[in-house]
Amino acid sequence: MNPEVTLRVNGRRYELQVRPDRLLLDVLRDELRLTGARRGCETGYCGACTVLLDGQAVHACCLLAVRAGGREIQTIEGLASNGKLHPLQRAFIEEGAVQCGYCTPGMILSAKALLDENPAPGPEEIRQGISGNLCRCTGYVKIIRAIQTVAQAKGGGRP
Amino acid sequence: MSVTGGVGQRIPRIDAEAMVTGKVCYAVDLQVPGMLVGKIVRSRVPHGRIVRVDTSRAEQMPGVRAVITGLDMPDRKIGLALRDATIVARHKVRYVGEPVAAVAAVDERTAEEAAEAIDVVIEELPAVFDPVEGAQPKAPVIHEELGSYGHSTFMARHYNPIPGTNIAHHYWYRRGDVEAAYREAALVHEETFRIQPVHHGYMEPHVAVANVEPYGRVYLWSNTQRPFEVRKLVAEMFGWPEGRVRLTITKIGGGFGGKITPWLEPIAVALSARAGAPVKITLTRAEDFVTCRRQGGRVRVKSGVAQDGTLLAREVEIHWDSGAFSDLGVSVSTLAAISSPGPYRIPNVKVNSYLVYTNKVVAVPYRGLGVPEVMWAAESHMDSLAHRLGLDPIDIRMKNLAEEGDVAPWGEVFHSIGVKECLRRVKEVRERRRQEGDGRGWGVAVMHKFSTPGTMSEAVIRMNSDGTLLLLSGAPPIGQGCETSLAQIAAEGVGVPVSQITVVAGDTDATPFDAGTFSSRVCFHSGNAVLQAAREVRRRALELAGELLEARPEDLEIANGEIYVQGAPDRKTTMAEVARVSHMSQGAPIIGVGAFRGGGSFKFDPDTGLSGRAAAHWEYGAVLVKVDVDRETGKIDLRQVIGAHDVGKAINPLTVEGQIEGAALMGIGAALYEEMVFDGGSLVNPNFMDYLIPSALEAPDTEPILVETPHGEGPFGAKGIGEGPIIAIAPAIGNAVYDATGVRIRELPLTPERVLNALEAQA
Ligand code: FES
Ligand code: FES
Repeated sequence: MNPEVTLRVNGRRYELQVRPDRLLLDVLRDELRLTGARRGCETGYCGACTVLLDGQAVHACCLLAVRAGGREIQTIEGLASNGKLHPLQRAFIEEGAVQCGYCTPGMILSAKALLDENPAPGPEEIRQGISGNLCRCTGYVKIIRAIQTVAQAKGGGRP
Repeated sequence: MSVTGGVGQRIPRIDAEAMVTGKVCYAVDLQVPGMLVGKIVRSRVPHGRIVRVDTSRAEQMPGVRAVITGLDMPDRKIGLALRDATIVARHKVRYVGEPVAAVAAVDERTAEEAAEAIDVVIEELPAVFDPVEGAQPKAPVIHEELGSYGHSTFMARHYNPIPGTNIAHHYWYRRGDVEAAYREAALVHEETFRIQPVHHGYMEPHVAVANVEPYGRVYLWSNTQRPFEVRKLVAEMFGWPEGRVRLTITKIGGGFGGKITPWLEPIAVALSARAGAPVKITLTRAEDFVTCRRQGGRVRVKSGVAQDGTLLAREVEIHWDSGAFSDLGVSVSTLAAISSPGPYRIPNVKVNSYLVYTNKVVAVPYRGLGVPEVMWAAESHMDSLAHRLGLDPIDIRMKNLAEEGDVAPWGEVFHSIGVKECLRRVKEVRERRRQEGDGRGWGVAVMHKFSTPGTMSEAVIRMNSDGTLLLLSGAPPIGQGCETSLAQIAAEGVGVPVSQITVVAGDTDATPFDAGTFSSRVCFHSGNAVLQAAREVRRRALELAGELLEARPEDLEIANGEIYVQGAPDRKTTMAEVARVSHMSQGAPIIGVGAFRGGGSFKFDPDTGLSGRAAAHWEYGAVLVKVDVDRETGKIDLRQVIGAHDVGKAINPLTVEGQIEGAALMGIGAALYEEMVFDGGSLVNPNFMDYLIPSALEAPDTEPILVETPHGEGPFGAKGIGEGPIIAIAPAIGNAVYDATGVRIRELPLTPERVLNALEAQA
């Protein structure tokens, strides 16, 4: 019999029976059908699977689902509130920071974790903050700019 | 009258909202009821004869629904140009990673266990890993049947294999007399360059889902860049009429040329047919790494130059590392060879290009289609010539670059060639920065890039009953934003806001034919087809509105969804009314159809190999980079990249910039970090831990400069931009390293180790 876990995802509680070796990424995608976090590798190096765990950006492919029990998980599906996009989501659209979009959910969540901790990051800190998220399409130029505009709008951020 | 979101406007992507909220269905996200999981068993041997594939244990495992080997697949080879590829090996394996069997099971774990339970016995043969060695007459032969393979009609006239060798295709051309020109030259200089194999590194893996209905349709979903080509090849392989197969693309998480060949679709089809259920195959990253890569190889360049820097002659010899099959290599090795002397005026030229099979992962189209390789050589070499003659690298290029109306080295007449303007723009930046005291470490390179000749796009625009429009295009959006730019072209063509247009892309049942997304062709080809369809819709709408308003169509104007009489804006109707009347009263719904075939062809003069026109259009550009080199560690610090690119007309400057910025970093990856390292044919770094795709930390400050030299055949003058901006990056960096240190490195990537070795050799 598989252990029972309570996952708190985007403010909802899910009581699940989960095999102890299952990864959080697979449970989110297969059981909860939250597919915004995606797999891009098997080695924990691409960041396409990024979710927030108690506000910290983590690679959901490297975390056993049972270990996430009781903690607050946020996925890209939970970022917009009441149909209103998060400022980072809006900035990614307006600055053209999205190309194929595969990396985008993870990238936005890493950026959120960064800004929550450091509301006024400089370009180097932004680069550092998203360095665990690979993007093959954009060259990061517009991604960094999008994050900067949000930081500046919050009153922080150096140009 | 400008329309909201029309051509030239910097608007956000029309599909971006769905992507930032995660509400998009990529192929990895696809679920079909009753779906099984497919897994592939792969060769661990680079070259060998298959003695036995024993599937009996796997077949008896609970939960396993289908097992196939190469012998269960139709005995038909496939290929985008040359039909030389087995999708599942039958008698022979030709690279480590080649599929030899496949299974379908109820879940991932069972499928994996079944795949492991298949016993493969292969008798090893001597293997070839280097294209230059592979081209030697004594090399072990990888394709004994070369010479008897079928091929697509587009290349029928110039396909030139050398049976009995590993040379799948030899293309050559000659112009003037290089030997005579060398005798006149003040300087004759020759260099040899090497290019490593690199992987596309798209973030979404290859995926295919197949559902074969025994007496009905065959449904396929995949993230392919060429749905119609894949449908054709699958139908051909299984002996079905094309129409039986419906291929629907999903959202595609990047392709860059790597998602063209149907490596998975036929396997999913065979498994589904056997299992009687839908089957999904999702590659792991390690599998993706052995599924596609860029050619690379060796390029020798030799030039004869006058004292003042005028190019008199150039010879290029290329050995392409094709891997186990030729894929689109026949086309790549031909068109990139054509491009290899560069966008210069050179009266005497001799080019030889050899596409060579090796026992490695199959090389396929990769952003730039071989031109990054040949320009790495030609543009590094151009700097060598400048330094030997004591000329400024920009000046020697300016002196030789072609202009509108000049004859190209390969015979065609240059058109829409903004390369000098691009170079002028980056020169301005360099001069300014030098004046500010940034003295050394500047490198420049120019580029051109063909768009494959003679390809076709169609488009349909249907007016919905509320007056909004449905744009049907067969060209898959792969991240570059073509759904937005095509919608902008349609909006401009009809005269309605872009918000009125819904784009449906890449469904072989729903959309008309399109050759697909490759070779920077969509904006130009599909754009032209869309524009034609849009004009037809406009014409029909105005005609009908003319009847309603009792006015002549030519006196009417469309603005933001309304149609009015020019000079009498009160006499008006709406698109919605036009749609209602056309649908309900007249029974003649408004549908516009457009088709466009790009110019150029694969026809070459049989005596010289020269071409009247080798491309539908050419991209041009110039790149300037600034580096600092640490002489202690050999590390190259890439400070800045400035890319000036001639796009003809920027349909959407925001997405055009995105292409320039993204391609630049992809080029930086291949120039500085990335290399597929093989050991005895096995890839030793098939993961992002050991294969270094640039992260944000490696991304330099990048500045795109847009130059617009309209193309006479482009929609609103537009050309492609998807590939060009990657091409000049590596040579510009190599040239900057020379400017900073005085050492010339001729092999990619420019690792600290290579830089240190070169510095040591210099000392
Ligand atoms: S899937 Fe690549 S880091 Fe998680
Ligand atoms: S947008 Fe394609 S990987 Fe980032």
